[in-house]
Amino acid sequence: MDFFSAMEVSASGLSAQRTRMTVASSNLANASTTRTAAGGPYQRRDVVLASVPMNNATAGVSGVAVQQIVADPTPPRLEYDPGHPDADVDGYVAYPNVNPVEEMVDMITASRAYEAGVTTLSTAVSMAERALGIGR
Amino acid sequence: MSAAAIGPIAPIALPTGSEVAGPRRVGDGAAFGDVLGDAIASARANEATATDLAARFAEGDTSVGIHETVIAAEKANVSLRYATTLKNKLVEAYRELMATQV
Repeated sequence: MDFFSAMEVSASGLSAQRTRMTVASSNLANASTTRTAAGGPYQRRDVVLASVPMNNATAGVSGVAVQQIVADPTPPRLEYDPGHPDADVDGYVAYPNVNPVEEMVDMITASRAYEAGVTTLSTAVSMAERALGIGR
Repeated sequence: MSAAAIGPIAPIALPTGSEVAGPRRVGDGAAFGDVLGDAIASARANEATATDLAARFAEGDTSVGIHETVIAAEKANVSLRYATTLKNKLVEAYRELMATQV
């Protein structure tokens, strides 16, 4: 049934937005992490989305998928704090390149996009229900 | 005056051959039963997916999200209602035919 195409495309969008939300929360949680497994401070992560053709969907319609989660290469924020165990010889500590304001904006965008996806989905469901009600 | 002996009652013979052939498909369209069968099969498949996802979600499988579970349940709901609607139409058409005045 073609109503399911709309539902599947919306579902892929919801998953993508959920990943963006997860990444934003990871960035915020690690906003002052100075140690990572790879060494150095935490690097801000970004989500790369790609459009993908959907199974069983109308031709030409595509959903969205998270292609990769990449590290933001901007340099870390240096803060003078000689007492910190991770301070360098000059007394500067490298903090993650995370800007909380930017993360909040990303979070709001993801949340609104998720809402839009849910609205699309419930509209598709109510269209299907209307179709089933024909001739009742 | 003599009366012929009453013979034994013959067993009831089952009609044979083409007398009891099943419903015959007329024309090129799919039989209503096939359409209904497909709808029911699709509803069952969707219902199985929804049950599986709900169980995995309840068990704490982190690869299953909330919306995947709810969407699967919604799909199962819509396809079941589709099958039910088809069934109702079939029964309605049958009743209509049975009410034909002869």
